[in-house]
Amino acid sequence: MSLEPAELLRRLSASLRADIGPAVADEYARTQAFMASVILERVSRQLELGPAHARAEDAEMVALVDALGPVLAGAPPAVSSALLDVGNHHTVASLGPLLEQLYAWGSAEPRVIEALGLIRPTLRKDIDRKMAVAE
Amino acid sequence: MSDELLSVLTPYLAERLEADGEVVVDQLDRIAVGWSHETWLFDASWMAKGEPRSQGFCLRRDPGNALLRQMSDLGEQFKVLRCLEATDVPAPEVYFYEEDPAVLGAPALLMEKVAGVCPSPWGKAGREFYAAAAARGVLPLSFTESLAAIHNADWRAVGLDFLGVPELGDAFARREIAKWRLLIEQSGHPGHPILADLIGWLEANAPSTDRLTLVHGAFRTGNVLIADDRVSAVLDWELQVIGDPMYDVAYMLTELNREGTDLLSNVVPRDVFFDRYESATGITIDEDRCRYYQLLYAMRSAAFWMSAAGLFADGANRDLRLARTEWSVSVALERAAKELGY
Repeated sequence: MSLEPAELLRRLSASLRADIGPAVADEYARTQAFMASVILERVSRQLELGPAHARAEDAEMVALVDALGPVLAGAPPAVSSALLDVGNHHTVASLGPLLEQLYAWGSAEPRVIEALGLIRPTLRKDIDRKMAVAE
Repeated sequence: MSDELLSVLTPYLAERLEADGEVVVDQLDRIAVGWSHETWLFDASWMAKGEPRSQGFCLRRDPGNALLRQMSDLGEQFKVLRCLEATDVPAPEVYFYEEDPAVLGAPALLMEKVAGVCPSPWGKAGREFYAAAAARGVLPLSFTESLAAIHNADWRAVGLDFLGVPELGDAFARREIAKWRLLIEQSGHPGHPILADLIGWLEANAPSTDRLTLVHGAFRTGNVLIADDRVSAVLDWELQVIGDPMYDVAYMLTELNREGTDLLSNVVPRDVFFDRYESATGITIDEDRCRYYQLLYAMRSAAFWMSAAGLFADGANRDLRLARTEWSVSVALERAAKELGY
């Protein structure tokens, strides 16, 4: 019988929390055992949820790039270039440079406001996924 | 570790205290295994000019791998605390700063051991302590008056302008943004686009201030000592700046610093805080500016956690509590998104 990595980490975490940590007399070492338990639990969750999260991110980014295209047509070259990168990578991380360029263009610019209105729901979904691991 | 410290501490004290012979150190105890500087408390007794002397001390050492190591310097803390001695701010008296790590094992600051307790506001016992003190009514006033004393301090007259003085207007907010952006860059953390959104928003909306005061930067329960329901000392002089007093007020008002209660910082009723703070300082609380600074605190929190996670990632510090902060970055960014309205 073999365990999936996520399940193995979860059991290691449980053992650290329930068996090993409480048996450690030194306060600092005991805290470290409990911290290791928390970290292993989160890594386990990350492994478990990772594939579904990656699929969701990809689908959302495809939709976002499609929506941003018309809004940012004719935008300053730095914005267009950042949008091109987002289209090439289809990752939430690639939105960082685009956001920097949008703010550099001007936060009061109507098309920047419209673009932010499209980008932020995608960021919300992404941080919700991260919180599903972090909490 | 305490034996190692003791072996260098006793001869150091004998010399600095001009003792006639040996200094006896008792009750040497490390009080916090924290992320910042090491903190040790002890009692010392010695003979000087034929008279017996005894005193409690607090020693802080900088191990060089602590959180905020880039911006938390014990030498600066020593200077700040020395300046505060000429003000009404309750703070420990400082005695010696030893910069040479060869002397006490690390740069170190020796100061007065102030009487009082400092319950953590994040645990049940601490929350109960503050709720009971709030009901008695003395601590809420003392806590508020301590913040007012910080903001009323004549910082230029006592020499605190060495901290750097921003121009009036939006320079203070911009300087803080730049400071935390630098910490984020130094952390080596990949970041997240919410941070880019937050920083862009903060830069586009930096508020103007027409009054500069000393700002503590982390004024909350857990960072003050309490004796007989009064603040006996404001601690954690690591983030102080000359800036907009609303930066501290925003920290009082934020939900981040209270848990399961409407009491500001777990101890002060909101109306009591507004009344007492405004009457003691003559400053009207600007809640719009406070809301802005709460977003700046979201950036600061993210920067803290990125820096902490980076300390573990680059091998500078093996404390697993730092590794755990990788996920605290997400919590800070989620809060930022909420503050930005999404």
